[in-house]
Amino acid sequence: MSAPRWRLAPGLIFGRAALAIYLVIMVLWLTFPVVLVLLASFQGTLEVSWPAPVSFDAYKTIPPSYWEAFWFTIRAALLATGIALLVAIPAAWAMVRGRLAGRRVMSNLVLIPDVVPQLILGIALLTVFIPLRLSNSFAGVMLALVALSLSTGLRFTEALLEGLPDEYEQAAQSLGADKLTAFRLVVLPLIAPGVAIAALFIFMQNLITFELLFFISGPSATPIAIRLFSDIIDRGIVPYAVAMAGILVYVAIAFYTLVAVSLGPKYMAGSVMSRKG
Amino acid sequence: MTDMIDTHSSGRSAPDVQDHGRRVSRRRLRREKLFYRLLTLPALTIVGLVAIVPLLLLLVGSLREQRSGLFTLDNYVNTLSNGFFMRTLATTIVMAGGVTAISILMALPLAYLLARRTLLRNIVMPIITVPRMLPFVVIGYAMILLLAPMTGVANKVLMGLGILQQPAFILFDWPGQAIAFAYNGIVVATAVLTGVLMSVDPQLEDAAVSMGASKVRAFFAVTVPLATPGIIAASALIFTSVVTAYAIPVMLNGRVPYMVSLLISANLLTLQQQNLAYAQAIIVSVLALGVTTIGQVVLSRYGQRGGDK
Repeated sequence: MSAPRWRLAPGLIFGRAALAIYLVIMVLWLTFPVVLVLLASFQGTLEVSWPAPVSFDAYKTIPPSYWEAFWFTIRAALLATGIALLVAIPAAWAMVRGRLAGRRVMSNLVLIPDVVPQLILGIALLTVFIPLRLSNSFAGVMLALVALSLSTGLRFTEALLEGLPDEYEQAAQSLGADKLTAFRLVVLPLIAPGVAIAALFIFMQNLITFELLFFISGPSATPIAIRLFSDIIDRGIVPYAVAMAGILVYVAIAFYTLVAVSLGPKYMAGSVMSRKG
Repeated sequence: MTDMIDTHSSGRSAPDVQDHGRRVSRRRLRREKLFYRLLTLPALTIVGLVAIVPLLLLLVGSLREQRSGLFTLDNYVNTLSNGFFMRTLATTIVMAGGVTAISILMALPLAYLLARRTLLRNIVMPIITVPRMLPFVVIGYAMILLLAPMTGVANKVLMGLGILQQPAFILFDWPGQAIAFAYNGIVVATAVLTGVLMSVDPQLEDAAVSMGASKVRAFFAVTVPLATPGIIAASALIFTSVVTAYAIPVMLNGRVPYMVSLLISANLLTLQQQNLAYAQAIIVSVLALGVTTIGQVVLSRYGQRGGDK
């Protein structure tokens, strides 16, 4: 009835081998940037050779302007994440529980900064920020990040609240709590873990945003991605820039570890965030 | 809504009491709605001021002549009749389409394996996630370390093995850009498609195999159609990100600008033709949003929301 197994074997072995080769090539291909950047950052030169003596020269020579840009980005990203979540959580709650007319329209409006290409939004912001003296300033960069984080934050928190049954709040209200108390004592603790993860994602997104900030940043407000970018244009690739790129790799690895430890690696599949451009 | 109040006051059927109750409840309801509206206000204000108003001003600016400020369609007419711009736009679209197709084709089998093999997924997931949390500029640095004509690892290895006689100059030209974009595209496609394929029930394939289909045929006849919404979502994402990319086209630029974003920024920053740049930006965003919208329409035709962004 069934074909004998051994007759399939050569084809099967060939298929298996092809699959294994494909898998190895893909994994190598996917890991090469991280591996190369880290290798180069520990050699102090731009030529990657192996084996090579480990040297921390590149890290030691990172100029202050790079660290300034790094901490500038961290500050702006943190503040933007905080503001965006403070605004997004009540809005999401009102949109999900309030059954307001035109809810879809409102939540789609808030998603605009995420849907419009970042390059275009950046140009639009430049035209507004120049007369307001917000371009080339911390406030301008932060405002742009707030708009972006708000979109992501609303999408996250709306999904969190939609997954939360209405009954918990109703139970609290039937025991005499008003809506706000029910929100504070029941809803907020229940969504807090999800919000923490959302905050982490939004923070990372802010950290790596480039196209949105390129036009509105300047000499006195330079995110780290733009610092690395403009240096490569001005003077080509330099060892300390590679070291800074290495530091960004560490940050990304730390982020992954945090999320994977708290959620399990499964969660990262198809997850909400991806770099735009 | 008001019926509930009526049952409360059913003891006395005097109409004025009912009326009163109704009025109170209606007022409470209205106050509640107002309260909810107020909660959405900060979010809407911020988005209005930091996104919607600037975008509208961009649109208005694109419709104005730069010198006189009069309303005109000249910026669009000039852009669309400019052979150089249109050629670059066509190159950009071809590049984005090619990168999208290659990324999906390369990523689909990997995503399928990741979706079905938990151990493999746990090993490979960090490899996919870490690059996604890096600025694209860092990927550009890695491309230079890999492919630079003299110092790049690939050239050194290939020349050391005697495969290449002289270094290949592919980095600062369109192949280098395409490789960088494809790297990003494969990472995004793998992540999105893994999530989508995980939600496809493996029993459906088993059923196809049990009825005599080969594993490969079951994959193409059962799994791929079920994953199509995710494939479309990923494609739209990759396509728009290539069309509007800026960092990589500048970092790995050749003599001729291949990507339309370079023309826009040149008009905006160096050539001082802002209003022309606005019109070009609008054209590019219409293209990008159009692709996303077509993707959404196709998705809703499928009648399911597969593949989150």
